[in-house]
Amino acid sequence: MTETDLDAVIHAPARLRIVATLATLGPGDELGFPKLRALLDMTAGNLSTHLRKLEDAGYVEVTKTHEGRTPATYLKLTDRGRTAFRDYRTALAGLLKGTGA
Amino acid sequence: MSADHGASPGTEPEGGEAMDAAARLKMIDEQQKRARTGLEPDARLLYLVWGAAWLVGYLAMWFTSKDGSSPTIWAGWTLAVAIIAAITFTMVHSIRRTAGTRGTSARVGAMYGWGWMLGFLTMWAILTGLVNAGADGEVVAVAANGTACLIVGLMYLACGMVFQDNGVYALGVWMLLTAAVATLVGLPGTNLVMALLGGGGFLAMGVVTSVVDARRRGNRDD
Repeated sequence: MTETDLDAVIHAPARLRIVATLATLGPGDELGFPKLRALLDMTAGNLSTHLRKLEDAGYVEVTKTHEGRTPATYLKLTDRGRTAFRDYRTALAGLLKGTGA
Repeated sequence: MSADHGASPGTEPEGGEAMDAAARLKMIDEQQKRARTGLEPDARLLYLVWGAAWLVGYLAMWFTSKDGSSPTIWAGWTLAVAIIAAITFTMVHSIRRTAGTRGTSARVGAMYGWGWMLGFLTMWAILTGLVNAGADGEVVAVAANGTACLIVGLMYLACGMVFQDNGVYALGVWMLLTAAVATLVGLPGTNLVMALLGGGGFLAMGVVTSVVDARRRGNRDD
């Protein structure tokens, strides 16, 4: 295995941080957009762009809802996203040990 | 495949790959640590606040009643203010940390929080019933401390079960023991038992949690 075999969707540092953050939640939990943004220190536009790519890849589930009259967006990792993150992390550990190089 | 990120890792020498993998693993760990800090209440802080509240409040009660007299008004107020301050801190801290999440954990957390509230509301009803039945101040005081400590013990048992946390379960057992000893000892010793075993139990739990957390963090950094 070399780095070119790593999952390109979460290889971009911004998306890796997003997925790492969402992976700290339990499988039944969702995180609101403003809280995710605060945990990542990213601009709303930048975060939205990366979330769309993760959603397109089927890694992140986006739920748009209303809380009272305020629109709210909640994010969670899909099973596929969780697996991809775990595989990516395992691959990194493999590269580090030199077993896959 | 690497079209959408700046570096072209495929062209890096093998040493560079290893560095990059290490840096990425570090980035993941740091981000996850930050996420957990921003999402989960700090148990160490809560144990410290509750330990201090019980220690200060019940010591004030004990010092002004150890000769067998009733505790002074200011001692009663000290205990009341300490407990109310601890409740307020716990609620504000927990709600702030868990704000912006929803789903299973948020629901379990809310049910757990309401469990405390319902337990103490019921305790208030029981004590009112005892007063109505003619219980004097000493009976009410012993029952109040024993019941409060019983609720605390059972809630920590529940917390330990739900979150599969042996440490919290052990704290629950300790608090039940405190409830039993505090009630059997009777006044004025009840107040000293609540201060030392109860307040001290919280503080000891805070220290143990800090040490365990620090060790876990140390292992992750390896």
